[in-house]
Amino acid sequence: MADARRYFDDIQVGEEYESPGRTVTETDIVLFAGLSGDYNVLHTNAEFMKQSIFGERIAHGLLGLAIQAGLFTRATQAYATLAFVGLRWKFKGPIKIGDTIRLRAKVTAKKETSKPDRGLVTVERTVVNQRGEVVQEGETDLMVERRRK
Amino acid sequence: MTATATPQFFFEDVELHGIRETPGITVTEAHVALYGGVTGDLAPAEGVVPDLLLLALTTGLGWRIPQPPLAVLAFMGVEWHVDAPLRVGDTIHSVSRTAVKRSMREGGVIVEERQVINQRAEVVQHGKFTFLVAKRPV
Repeated sequence: MADARRYFDDIQVGEEYESPGRTVTETDIVLFAGLSGDYNVLHTNAEFMKQSIFGERIAHGLLGLAIQAGLFTRATQAYATLAFVGLRWKFKGPIKIGDTIRLRAKVTAKKETSKPDRGLVTVERTVVNQRGEVVQEGETDLMVERRRK
Repeated sequence: MTATATPQFFFEDVELHGIRETPGITVTEAHVALYGGVTGDLAPAEGVVPDLLLLALTTGLGWRIPQPPLAVLAFMGVEWHVDAPLRVGDTIHSVSRTAVKRSMREGGVIVEERQVINQRAEVVQHGKFTFLVAKRPV
């Protein structure tokens, strides 16, 4: 089977991707609360949240982060990723039930490592809602395989 | 406020440099499947736990220590490092330490350093969470 994954050598600094949109539902939030065990009132108590600055329940920040990771796989051909190394991430605004988010991503850096079979790729990512407002943004570092010479 | 009178841990209650250690949780195939289904962030290979699933599980572990939940107004950011892969069947717990406590006009900023540790006492992930936390109502 041909390997359709993109290697460190194939990925170019400056490449940009945009994902399809995804509507975040109450079900997503309830499932994520159950999965993570994070039952913070922000995500689970509709009455409490009526009185908050948001006016309603909002998605877990980490749910947004995880959904964008899923959207990334729909935005571009898979990388030959060996490991997810780390991230620097900011939560800029709430994701509310019914909001539709999409991911904009750009490769900002490629760095060779001490090991000849892999390199570090930095991807800048912006999560925007249906009004074009940035709700989350940050950078992720991925260790990606190099092609065998 | 009858529907909302839940105990909360406010900015004033947070102890600078205070350390909290959670109970553990065994990460199962079911966690990986449910996480993949909800988020679309699928496991890279069979038996491997997606890295961001651990980040989510560590927030839930924080709810299992005998302390009311932090009165979070907003989750501001996270800086995170993956040190080692985790496999299905591994058991994790986390240790957190309050590194920064900065009072603001509306609430205060708390920076928490956190490590996720496996059953062999190896740090598998670590990083910093930044929260805006409410002050005790006067």
